[in-house]
Amino acid sequence: MNTTPGTTADNGGNFDPRQAAALLDQTTQQARRQLQPSPPWLLATRAVMVLAALGAIWLSVRGQHPYRGPTAADIPILVAFIVINFAATVAVRRRATTGVSGRSPLRPAEITIAALAWVAVVVVMVALAVAGVSYSLYPTTVLIIPGLAWAAVMAARKDWGNCVTGLAVGVVGVAGLFAGPAGAWAVAGVGLCVVLLGRAAFIAWQQHA
Amino acid sequence: MTDDGLDPLIHVPTRLKIVATLAALPDGDALSFTRLQDMIGLTPGNLIIHLRKLEEADYISSKKSSNGTVSITTVALTGHGRAALGAYTQALRELLGGL
Repeated sequence: MNTTPGTTADNGGNFDPRQAAALLDQTTQQARRQLQPSPPWLLATRAVMVLAALGAIWLSVRGQHPYRGPTAADIPILVAFIVINFAATVAVRRRATTGVSGRSPLRPAEITIAALAWVAVVVVMVALAVAGVSYSLYPTTVLIIPGLAWAAVMAARKDWGNCVTGLAVGVVGVAGLFAGPAGAWAVAGVGLCVVLLGRAAFIAWQQHA
Repeated sequence: MTDDGLDPLIHVPTRLKIVATLAALPDGDALSFTRLQDMIGLTPGNLIIHLRKLEEADYISSKKSSNGTVSITTVALTGHGRAALGAYTQALRELLGGL
């Protein structure tokens, strides 16, 4: 039979309680890190990226009178942020959730609700634009429906940490409506950065608790 | 229990690693045998021996499922196992606090 350092004391006779405590602590933290689909480092990186991307757009639109929206040069920044963010999220989540089954992985119905929330965003934005409502120009308007939908899905799961995150995203969306179309870019950048850093801090605390 | 009040079933390095790893999952989740093996760094035969002992004590539950050609075994900590780890952790704290 193969032996590893972990099996030499199979009856626990030589296993010192201090060693046991250290092994328990080390294994628990390692497992939590490996099984975490949204690790703090990824959330913190995303926070910096969102602040940089949306901040850059705010810098380019803040002097516009009247407001015309992001320039052609801003669009690649936004697209690059979305693509990098999506790719990193999928890669990290896939690695963390490999072999995990049960209640944590999102169910098809929950994925459908999240997808429908984004479809609803497009419908609402187009409807607002057709009706001539200025909020269709505000970048934070797109955050409200997905944020609240995510909060509802997570509340149904009793995942209160993620629920609060969804609500916070929705609040950032609403707050942006009071900042004007150009100011909403700054509100979105700072607001999402704070939300992501808060979530990262909460998860880091949970991992070490 | 051992003389120092530690559950002898858990107070073995490999089994402690298995139980602690499974406890890191949220309640109601299970881990595939291969992922657990990968995380603990044991051979399949070695892991099976320890899992069997834990399953006999109702500390873990295992389930076999098949999707056509591939058979997947998943392992989860039971409520009893979670409580046993909690009691073990508490006993360790008391023991080390007294040293």
